Amino acid sequence: MTTLDHHASVRPVPNPKKSLITKLNMGTGLVVGIIFAVATYYGLGGDSAGVFENYNRTLLATMFMWSIGFMVGIGAFIGPFRWLIGKDLTDEEQLYLAGDGQGIKRYFKYCTDHKVVGIQYMVGVMALLGVGGTMAMMIRTNLIQPGSKFVGPSIYNSLVGLHGITMIIAMIIVVTGPFGNFIMPIMIGAADMAFPRLNALSWWVLFTAIPVLCSAWFLGGIPTGWTAYAPLSVQAGPGMNAFIATIIIFAISTAVAGANITATVVAMRAKGMKWNRVPIFVVGATMSVALAIPAFPTFMVSMIMTGLDRSYATTFFDANLGGSGWLYAHLFWIMGHPEVYVILIPGVAVLMEIAPVFVRKPLFSYNAAIAGFAGITGLSVLVWAHHMYMSGWMPMLNGPFMVTTEMISVPTGLIFLVILGTLWRGRPWLKLPMLGVYAFLWNFLIGGITGLYLSDVPADNYLHGSMYVTAHFHYTLMGAALTGALAGLAYWFPKMTGRMLNERAGYISFWLVQIGFQVLFLGMFIAGAEGQPRRVADYSINFATSDLISSIGAYMIGLGMIVLLWAVIHSWRHGKIAPMNPWGSKTLEWTVPYPVPLVNFDTPPVVTSDPYGYGKASN
Amino acid sequence: MSGNQSTMTAGKRVASAVFGVLLMVAAVGAVGFTLHKASADPQKKLFATKTSETIVIEGKSYPKATITMGVYADTAQAKEMGYNTTNKKDYVQYGPSTHIVLPAHTYVTMTIHGYDGGEKLNAPFFGKVIGTVGGTMNVDGVDVSEIPADQVQHTFTIHSLPSTNRDPLFINIPLQHVDEGDDGLLPTKDPGTNFKGHTITFSFITGGAGEYVWNCEYPCGDGTYAKFGAAMSAYGYMSGKVSVA
Amino acid sequence: MSDDHGLVEMQPTPGQKLAAIFKQREVRVATAWGVLVTFIFFIIGGWIYPSWMPIAMSTDMKSIERLIVIFTWISAPICGIVLGFSIYTFLHRHKGDTPPADGPAIRTNSLVVGLWVIVSSALCLVAIVYGLIEMNTASAATAEHKKNAMVVEVTGSQWAWSFNYPEQGVVSHELNLPINRPVEFRIISVDVNHSFWPVQLGVKVDANRLQTTVVDTTPNKLGTLDVKCAELCGLYHAYMETSGEVMSVADFDAWVTSHQGGHTA
Repeated sequence: MTTLDHHASVRPVPNPKKSLITKLNMGTGLVVGIIFAVATYYGLGGDSAGVFENYNRTLLATMFMWSIGFMVGIGAFIGPFRWLIGKDLTDEEQLYLAGDGQGIKRYFKYCTDHKVVGIQYMVGVMALLGVGGTMAMMIRTNLIQPGSKFVGPSIYNSLVGLHGITMIIAMIIVVTGPFGNFIMPIMIGAADMAFPRLNALSWWVLFTAIPVLCSAWFLGGIPTGWTAYAPLSVQAGPGMNAFIATIIIFAISTAVAGANITATVVAMRAKGMKWNRVPIFVVGATMSVALAIPAFPTFMVSMIMTGLDRSYATTFFDANLGGSGWLYAHLFWIMGHPEVYVILIPGVAVLMEIAPVFVRKPLFSYNAAIAGFAGITGLSVLVWAHHMYMSGWMPMLNGPFMVTTEMISVPTGLIFLVILGTLWRGRPWLKLPMLGVYAFLWNFLIGGITGLYLSDVPADNYLHGSMYVTAHFHYTLMGAALTGALAGLAYWFPKMTGRMLNERAGYISFWLVQIGFQVLFLGMFIAGAEGQPRRVADYSINFATSDLISSIGAYMIGLGMIVLLWAVIHSWRHGKIAPMNPWGSKTLEWTVPYPVPLVNFDTPPVVTSDPYGYGKASN
Repeated sequence: MSGNQSTMTAGKRVASAVFGVLLMVAAVGAVGFTLHKASADPQKKLFATKTSETIVIEGKSYPKATITMGVYADTAQAKEMGYNTTNKKDYVQYGPSTHIVLPAHTYVTMTIHGYDGGEKLNAPFFGKVIGTVGGTMNVDGVDVSEIPADQVQHTFTIHSLPSTNRDPLFINIPLQHVDEGDDGLLPTKDPGTNFKGHTITFSFITGGAGEYVWNCEYPCGDGTYAKFGAAMSAYGYMSGKVSVA
Repeated sequence: MSDDHGLVEMQPTPGQKLAAIFKQREVRVATAWGVLVTFIFFIIGGWIYPSWMPIAMSTDMKSIERLIVIFTWISAPICGIVLGFSIYTFLHRHKGDTPPADGPAIRTNSLVVGLWVIVSSALCLVAIVYGLIEMNTASAATAEHKKNAMVVEVTGSQWAWSFNYPEQGVVSHELNLPINRPVEFRIISVDVNHSFWPVQLGVKVDANRLQTTVVDTTPNKLGTLDVKCAELCGLYHAYMETSGEVMSVADFDAWVTSHQGGHTA
């Protein structure tokens, strides 16, 4: 049908000489983006002589024009533009866009190959985790002793808010970005994603958000947490604009990626891959991005409204003039709660994918796993006001929200059942990915139980706004979801890089991170139970011991993550060459060699069973 | 030992690991150092001047000390009043420093010269004098115990984290504002004279050693929400530290 | 084809089934681990956790502490099951560089799944009902309190709390309360969101701009009160704390008298 049918070795390297797309890359994107940004900034009056609203307008416009300019410069709009004028891209140009024959340069271009996008996401996530993690080290250093002596309260508050948003963005994309893009299409037997150009778009749009987020530091930081509550966010200095712009840009990237993943899984599974044969990772990832699609627009809207309040003196959130701070809280948490399940479910799905492989048993009760994910996804849109129990918004609705929130513990329990059932009567092979499963069982157990206290309205009277909450959500988001993502990294590293991840470094990193994690956050639970509020630069002397212990744990995590980063970089270049299927897994991605061919499969696979056919007898 | 090691020799690998880890730790350390430096107080500490006098209050004898500060509408005014401010932004600010050091167990007499205008306090509570000896302050020679909420230019409010190892200290001083002219501007400076302002003097007794904070409770920030943005939300202009040593 | 003389083979009773399950060593060992973990969490919930919490100075705070104990006890068997199985399988791991042989091909076990769903739903229901009863009790008590409550108007401003006692005509930066008198806090903010948290009283509610929120409680123990802000409100959020005292009625009246009109530290 097309030149894609031929094997790479006999296919000519595409070289559409006259086409603009051969000349565009990240560099041209940067140039055009900066030109657009500078022109907008000075065109709108620069620092506006410090006039609040004008300066906000200028900054927001500059940040958006940077993003648009970058996308213009990297060639994101060439495809749609050519389609609009009726001269669609030729086959050779499309092959070129897919990165065929360009070697390492394709990672710096607008490349539609899902494997390239997956690697780009991986590097991006690592950068975000590095920046966010560094900020965490700063936060904990300041809390080693009372007195806020390391950094002052202004920088501390900015650290807290920017650490939060950096990590939230990183955690949303940590599984679906690298593995949802690289691995998932191969796992379902597809040649690429449903919309390859949108795939490249979602990555590069996200990329443009990163300098915008970093610019907050140069604009005076932010005084809010990552929740950016109005009216404090409306009072905030210019740095808040960076936050607002980042979220709006990020929401676009996520919506596009979510639609892409969902369409791919629904429409492009291999022949024979009925819904009951789809690997659980794919199911989980798809459900989570499907949940994100209705959720993230409300965050975007809340940011647009905050931006308008700051730039045009609208009064959405000003109670003095007819608005309401509670409006912001609702819009935010209607996103905020589903969002934590968007983070959690893919991490759990990775671990459910890993457990059967390393225990050599089928996944226990696939249907219970589906029910668990579906229950969580469905219920998660009904619980948001448990973040607002203490806001005084409407005390009589606290009861119903408590009921829905506590109901989520039932489908969540099914996740434990599935994993434990998979482990039971097996002999786990404790390679690095499998260690993640055990860490998850402990971390999510603690996270879930502490969530039970928080979900109870009377107990929340004490616990809301204290360090207890911070410890709880780190246990679930980091202890469960990040552990799942890192297990996925160790698991899929051979397929994504062709090499094995250095095992000893991996074990050292794992134990440093996990033990440091317990020290840090168990210490934090104690501080919270004792009454330390959250997001405080300084605290009473009676919390000194808990905070000191917590900070020591934080340094252990920091060291462990640095060791992991070294291991990833080192193994990528010098790791032992990996066999095609080092773990003996039965999913489709392990049937392709490395480097994975452009269209993944020479002949599209036909699936006859689910990938959990381990075991001596079949049911 | 498992076979999943690298294609590099063991010695080189360990060296690469140690070097890589140290490099990254150093990078994080560099970030920390930068942030630490950026958090330093914008001005040097301002020490109270001990006098040789003592005073007896409720049967106890305290040594006396004095300290003087000013609050200025902007950096230019501060400089004109002779305070060599190193503040970078042209905000309303206290000077010559926002970090003052007071001796412990001392009767401290503080004088604040206020040169700014005002509008209206958000919270009328802060129009009252709290925490001074006698519950009053002296404004241009007259003792008052509170000021109407719409005649305040700034407040000087000392508070702290309640803590078992630190004596509580809560002082609130509302500063009488300078009347603005009909054009809404502060009175201009005549050649050879200072800006028109008010001199407010008050005394309080410090407890034991401890760290406290102070901030202005008057909305003198920019046009943002409740006027607590800009100068009010930037450390070192309308907020600072009090060390009792 | 043997003649069984009309004897019908007996189905094992549920008791016998259960015994057969427990005869297996792995079940016994995993259960033993589970029991140990449950016991540890029982101790944590009953004694260790409460030791971290501050002194309760109202029935609201007392019932919070009791709830935390009870919820930990409800969760203890869950921890036991999850960790019991985890520890057992972890200890029983396959060592070596090559994957282990395949394990038994257990796809599902309807009984286990069903039991799990039922038990977890039941525990969830217990937690829900307990919480709803607590909330109902608290709101009934509040309705009672309002009849005799002393009103304290709490104003949150960036970055200090101030209190107005309209009945006594006193304003203060410290929260002093008489013991055993119901108090109704009416909270408001003059700027951004704060959260009024008198720690030992076990109540909390946000201070919102121009919207008064209300919370009721009765201090029933003498001692020091910590009042903190539980919502990030800008630069000096960490320093937005004050203290106060729950004092005897006589002491409180004396404090009120000394504060009316004049303001000393």
